[in-house]
Amino acid sequence: MNPVLARIDDRFIHGQVTVGWGQKLQPDLILLANDEIAADPWQARVYASTVPPSVAVAVLGVSDAAAALRNENADLAHHERVILLTGNPGDMHALLAQGVALERINVGGMHFASGKQEFLPSVYVDRDDLAVFRTMLRHGVRLSAQAVPGGREVQMDDGALAAMEARL
Amino acid sequence: MIQGLVLTHGAIGAEMVKVVELIMGPVEGLRADSNQGRSARDTASAVATWLADHAPDGGVIFIDDYGGSCASAACLGAEGAENLAVISGVNLAMLLTFVSWREDLDKDELVQRIVDKARQAVTVVGAPR
Repeated sequence: MNPVLARIDDRFIHGQVTVGWGQKLQPDLILLANDEIAADPWQARVYASTVPPSVAVAVLGVSDAAAALRNENADLAHHERVILLTGNPGDMHALLAQGVALERINVGGMHFASGKQEFLPSVYVDRDDLAVFRTMLRHGVRLSAQAVPGGREVQMDDGALAAMEARL
Repeated sequence: MIQGLVLTHGAIGAEMVKVVELIMGPVEGLRADSNQGRSARDTASAVATWLADHAPDGGVIFIDDYGGSCASAACLGAEGAENLAVISGVNLAMLLTFVSWREDLDKDELVQRIVDKARQAVTVVGAPR
């Protein structure tokens, strides 16, 4: 199983993913990794229903998603072009910590919430988020924010995170 | 009166409601909201708030894109709600039909009429029939 996009997006499956990235990357699977949604058949069905029929979809808890990405799920191992989605940095970091190899992580959407400051119009962060991003960088991951293909890509390296932290 | 919510990306919904009022005059019970700047969870919460405050007896939610975040947020925010329909592909014909017929039809009849009229409005103008 090969992720062609690993994306943090608190809207999970939506137009930027299915149309924007989907048309460019031609995924054969969208894998949504989230414990709450995976445990709620209604939520899982709602999100799965928004995926085009030509693309398979799997909604798994984070640990199960990690196993699938380590090719330990026989039903999913054959997928070669996977868009991986988590709703927050913590879940993406949990996948890394559970042995999932990711070279790049796309920060697509972290919308405003109380206590968070704007990094980009669609990316709001707090100190906890920045700490998780730094841990990801130590895993050797390249982090960048980019909403859609062709859109502006903003690197989230140590310097950018430090500049952001100074504004908090 | 059956209540309506137009839930869209950006200001599409708000502008559509304005145009409905330009055509029909002041309209009650038709509100607009947006996913702008919101997570899926926050947009779903806005839907739940609209249901509680404005449509406790149900209504119709119009969304712009079947596969978008408004669609999932509408469904998640309306979980368990009775007498509610979520219709995708909102267009002006859809909203005009809603406003024109919502006091004369029951919800199911209204929804069918809305979908029929909206589909009829998507056509190649001037093409032979």
